Amino acid sequence: MSLFLAELKLTLRSRIAAAALFLLFLLAALAVWSGISLSDRQNAAIERVQAAHAQDLAAVARVYGQPDGDAGYGAYYTFYLTWDRPSPLAFAAIGQRDIQPFTLRVRTLGLHSQLYESENINAELALPGPFDWAFVLIYLAPLAVLVLLHDLVAGEREAGRLRLLLSLPGARGLWARRLGARYLLVLAALALPLVLGLMLTQAPLTLGAGSLLVAALYLAFWSGLGLLVAALVRSSGGGAATLLGCWIVLTLVAPTLATSAINSAIPAARGTDLSLAQREIVHAAWDKPKEETFDAFFVNHPEWRDTPPVTGRFHWKWYYAFHQVGDEAVAPQVAEYRASLAARERWTERVGWLLPTVSTQVLLHRLADTDLQAHLAYQDSIAALHRRIRYFYYPYVFEERPFTAADFERLPDYQPRPSGGSLAWGSLIALGLAALALLALSLRRAHRVEMVQPTATSRPGRGFLSKPAFT
Amino acid sequence: MSGATVRIAREEWRWLARSRVALVAGVLLLLLIITATFTSVQKHEAIDEARARYQSEQIEQFYNQPDRHPHRMVHYGQYVFRPLAPLAFFDTGVDAYTGNMVFLEGHRQNSANFAEARQSSLMLRFGQLTPAFVLQTLAPLLIIFLAFRALAGERERGTLRLMLAQGISARQIVSGKLIAHAAVAGAIVLPALLALTIMSASSGASAQALLIILGYCAYLIVWTLMALVLSALVPRARDALLALVALWMVTVVLLPRGLPELVAASQTLPTRIETEVAIGRDLKAIGDSHDPDDPYFNDFKMEVLARYGVSDVQDLPVQYAGLVAMEGERLTSDLFNRYAADANAREDRQNALVRTFGLASPLIAVRQLSMTLAGTDLDNHQDFLSQVESYRYSFVQHLNRMQAEQIPAVNPGEDPRIDASNWLEVPGFAYVAPNPLAYAGGRIAQSFGILAAWLAGLACLLILAARRLERIAR
Repeated sequence: MSLFLAELKLTLRSRIAAAALFLLFLLAALAVWSGISLSDRQNAAIERVQAAHAQDLAAVARVYGQPDGDAGYGAYYTFYLTWDRPSPLAFAAIGQRDIQPFTLRVRTLGLHSQLYESENINAELALPGPFDWAFVLIYLAPLAVLVLLHDLVAGEREAGRLRLLLSLPGARGLWARRLGARYLLVLAALALPLVLGLMLTQAPLTLGAGSLLVAALYLAFWSGLGLLVAALVRSSGGGAATLLGCWIVLTLVAPTLATSAINSAIPAARGTDLSLAQREIVHAAWDKPKEETFDAFFVNHPEWRDTPPVTGRFHWKWYYAFHQVGDEAVAPQVAEYRASLAARERWTERVGWLLPTVSTQVLLHRLADTDLQAHLAYQDSIAALHRRIRYFYYPYVFEERPFTAADFERLPDYQPRPSGGSLAWGSLIALGLAALALLALSLRRAHRVEMVQPTATSRPGRGFLSKPAFT
Repeated sequence: MSGATVRIAREEWRWLARSRVALVAGVLLLLLIITATFTSVQKHEAIDEARARYQSEQIEQFYNQPDRHPHRMVHYGQYVFRPLAPLAFFDTGVDAYTGNMVFLEGHRQNSANFAEARQSSLMLRFGQLTPAFVLQTLAPLLIIFLAFRALAGERERGTLRLMLAQGISARQIVSGKLIAHAAVAGAIVLPALLALTIMSASSGASAQALLIILGYCAYLIVWTLMALVLSALVPRARDALLALVALWMVTVVLLPRGLPELVAASQTLPTRIETEVAIGRDLKAIGDSHDPDDPYFNDFKMEVLARYGVSDVQDLPVQYAGLVAMEGERLTSDLFNRYAADANAREDRQNALVRTFGLASPLIAVRQLSMTLAGTDLDNHQDFLSQVESYRYSFVQHLNRMQAEQIPAVNPGEDPRIDASNWLEVPGFAYVAPNPLAYAGGRIAQSFGILAAWLAGLACLLILAARRLERIAR
């Protein structure tokens, strides 16, 4: 234990290591602050919207909540507000919350002409991606590991200390100890700000523990890779270059290539198709015999079959029936659209089995409930509300009952979806295996550094950093 | 240029060509640019084709609608798809983040929907594979990798002292290295230059393409200078590499991500719902056409009666309800435009703030330049939305006028309709792509100015560093 503590102190005595760790800590803290600020802003916006909506609703109730009020008008002019608050862990992994709408109003008209509305966002600000703790973990922490590990072996060799170190008592666990000390320091620099943020937002313990576990595994992967490279390369410069190359491939090149492949292979054009199709069906109803619309409507709503028939040109029951028929008619397109989005998610998870950067992204945002799946769950909660609204108005409209001020008091409430953070087990196992494999491999390889005892002056080769003298 | 300078440059190239790592990294980056260009062009064509097909299908459907009341057509509405700018393949800019389909109908302003980023997994946020992404993010790294030891390496091995002893000046050495690595930067831009030339030739965007190339050349030379300055100032090659990567990290990854949050916190954008509610309130404050005693619409009625020289709406040669619909649409559209202008101004202020901070990062300058010239920046999208809104207004008013003029004012019957041939008189949406040089000339000049300032500053630093090198080595 005292050996380990000495190793910790030794690591921190290196100016560049201490600076890298401090910088990482500072950036993680900034990122946590930035994430909390975004969460707060979204919560504040939700409250502003709720206030504005309440005013709007009161005005509608005043006009249409008459003793002989017509439910058809009430339903037409009454919007229902839905909202999707950031989860307590959203500050750490903002995910898509900066581009997906988090408030939406719907009314009794066709759901699929309302569900895909977007929010006012400044797309240029969203373009580079959010600055949050997940970003610091996925992009920046590996660079701190790089700074701490790239010259672990070569640095000692270049300083001429390697022989001495390996002949000292306690040399057996030397590399494991050095690796462990550096690993823990990086983890601590990241974990401290996160824990502080978790305490501030009072996130459930399990979610916090989950994100720490993901961070621990992801850093273990990079530490394993760092030690492996350090044990393999001849010079510290070569170690830095190799690790940087790995970082570029894992965070920049491979994910962009994979995204491009997935999005080309799985197009999501069904969203456009379903919008166009729904409009055709809804508007064609105006020119069709009303019986056709009602026959289609009564298939799924037989309980209204025996209500008074529509004789005139217009009746609200017919109007709402053809809106519902429009939604039902595009159900196959909606299912295909959702399936294409789900397929994109599924393939991303599979890419994560190979790329720890991607699996870490998947894991953190699933825990924080800020990914595409979270937004689809929000849409489902809107669809559930829409269904309740329809069934709330149907008795009034179909039985032609008056809709009064008292009925405005009984409007169905929106039930926000429960915070749905979960653990993506497949990605966790993949990340864990990658971390374990690299740790085992690198420790074995580092052990062989001890056995081989390379000479202090390694063979001058045609390596990256050695070049023939200019003459 | 002296012979020694050329000799040094040639020697540097020979070393780069012999270094396996340099060669592999260079070839990989080249492959990546080529892949990015090909996939991006392909995707661009597919998207463009799909949007054009949807656009023509939807107007076809509009024209094929049966006899109807014009107000039905106001709500049947139109779908409008945003065409891609010809150079968007090079830099997709905000296209994936802004919706590309808008539904237009009377007295409502719907949003642009189905943005690709909203339908993709989070992996998209790692970046999109376009030539611009490779040139902005990865190319500087290659330049750093190839150039970090150019001077520090010579110093480490003592060959620098040797060269100076042979009578070659530090200035010659530094300019030789600069030529060698600037040529590398040029080679990186070459495939992009080819693609841009080919693609812009057919679209008449050659001036934009040329400026884009110029911008990226300046950007990559900035990185070349940066690498050489640090290589000259830092005694050990490895430390030069670490310092350069740290610089890259801060200017390419950290600042562009960190700034938006600072900016967003300083300037709140109202949500769609707040805007909708506010517009509804403003409209009510102006007047309520359903209220028979409403002062605004009573004045409107008096004005209409006076215009037609009659004393009762029954005697009007046109349908009064149609005129009221037109007046209502005018009021709503005014408010839409006013609120959109306010939201745009807020977004512009946010982006201007990022650009000001962009002085600290050449990436922000070149990204802005590239998006603007490729026609994929936010202003271009805002312009599209405003063209869409003015089209929405004119098409709705077209139909409202048909209602006023063709639906009988008295005894129209239970189900009044007008002939379907009327729909053909409504022109389709014709998008006019704005010319970035015209609407964003100042911004383009500003970006070039920032890049020029970086170039000048770094060139001065390099001259100072060369002098210092001479002093130290002697």
